Amino acid sequence: MQPPSMALLRAFSPLWKAPIRPSIFSGLLQTHQPQQHTADFSSTAPRCKRKKGKRTDMRITNIRYHLFHPMTPRPLRWSRNRHLRHWTIHRAWQLYQHNLRHKRDEELQKQYFSMYNACEALRNIDNYGLTAEDRTAMGEPPSEGKETGRLYRIAMLKRGMWNGPPIEYARIQTDTPPRNGWNHQWTR
Amino acid sequence: MALEAVTASLLRRLHAAPTPLHRAWTLQCRHHASTSNSTSTSAILATQEPQDLDPSTFHEATGPSRRKFDPVKTAFKRSEQLPPSRYHFRPPKYYRGELHPHQPPPTSDPASRAFVPGPFSLPRLEQTYHDTVASDLMTMTYMHFPPGVYPQQKGERYREWIGDSPYFKNRPRRGPRGGSVLRMLRKPITFRNVPQLERVTVHCMVKEATSGSAPLHVAGMVMQAITNVRSTSHATRKSVAAFGVRAGQHLSVTCELTGETMYHFLSKVVDVVMPKIKDFRGIKGSTGDNSGNLAFGLTPEDVALFPEVEVNYDMYPPKMIPGCHVIIHTSAKTDYDARLLAQAIGVPFYGKFVD
Repeated sequence: MQPPSMALLRAFSPLWKAPIRPSIFSGLLQTHQPQQHTADFSSTAPRCKRKKGKRTDMRITNIRYHLFHPMTPRPLRWSRNRHLRHWTIHRAWQLYQHNLRHKRDEELQKQYFSMYNACEALRNIDNYGLTAEDRTAMGEPPSEGKETGRLYRIAMLKRGMWNGPPIEYARIQTDTPPRNGWNHQWTR
Repeated sequence: MALEAVTASLLRRLHAAPTPLHRAWTLQCRHHASTSNSTSTSAILATQEPQDLDPSTFHEATGPSRRKFDPVKTAFKRSEQLPPSRYHFRPPKYYRGELHPHQPPPTSDPASRAFVPGPFSLPRLEQTYHDTVASDLMTMTYMHFPPGVYPQQKGERYREWIGDSPYFKNRPRRGPRGGSVLRMLRKPITFRNVPQLERVTVHCMVKEATSGSAPLHVAGMVMQAITNVRSTSHATRKSVAAFGVRAGQHLSVTCELTGETMYHFLSKVVDVVMPKIKDFRGIKGSTGDNSGNLAFGLTPEDVALFPEVEVNYDMYPPKMIPGCHVIIHTSAKTDYDARLLAQAIGVPFYGKFVD
């Protein structure tokens, strides 16, 4: 196996600027043009039989180069003012995120407790919308055994809930949603 | 250049003093005297004092013992550079632990090596989750407990040793029946524990990498392109002779996605890739690990459908584009909660739902 050619390395190196793309005018200006890396960048298939050894695919060489080249940028170093500016913005962003989280939690909490209150009301209500206290106040006889909290019991059955929401529901929100939500007639 | 300017100014100051020193000194005396509010005595003192002093010592510093001051020369002669005048924080070469006083800067500090700028976008999926999905999931899974009623408490999870043997006293408890794995407890879902996406792991094992590293590298690059996260390769732990795998070979690549990248990746999978898969029925309903993590696989053809791979498909050798496994880690404690979340996001399921 041959070692991978240096042509690509040179091509991507900022220090070693080789003309990969031959310009039209470069020939006019320069009489003598060094012929280099033509073999590596030619579009014709390499003659594997004539050239000894298996040549690696150029794409793989390319991928390897970009996967492993060690050019890690140094950490940012800023002056005092710039640093303070960054820090201020960072803190402000954190604060904003915290407030947002808090607001969402509060919203959920409110919804939860209103659900609780609604269920509690349904549980005490009979078919006429009267609680036991209402009935005694109005002088009515107490309701039959199964009448109270019927809707509550139905709600708590959660029939079909574990099958999940329908597919029409699961759409990511967009700025411009379509007028017809789902095309049910679509076939391949 | 700056150094030269500094030394030049220094030299100038030393060579030609603009005012004789004794005059400056008298001026200072006067100033101090005036602050003490005794003008008459101070004036007398000011006139008298310079006469008492011998001015010659100040003016001409004559004598062979005086050294010529040449800062440029001394600067050149100095073998080591002087420390900077201001305090300059240097992070430690390596991390010495929490208790060491010399700590690296926090990750949010741009001077830190671990600093990651961003977030640069607000993923639509995240917005959708917080705006609709979270509250809907909470509503769907709401269990009502009237006042005075509490959710059922499970019995002890580790079993006691019951018997006549005296050795049962203080003996460590036994694991649960039917296996040593302690299953997760599902608490009723409230506003505190609505199932949420935690992270996504994209994993692919490249069998062809046993013969050469090229397929692994291509797989790593494809994974990086898809997920926007640096891929990590893993060594095989055990050797399997049947597959020709030796322990220590690097055969798999993973990417861990959290936050912004996770949401982008999931929305890409759900909205771009899944609709384009041929004869796609959905994800198998029995997926899951009983603790709220779902997994599914993508074939090489499916991976090629990702927009990042599709736009420059020619960059990768077509036979080396890998398939992958996607594992969605959620904060749900059971699979059916996790599946509800996945369905609300848009992942279709088929077949029988298990647990």
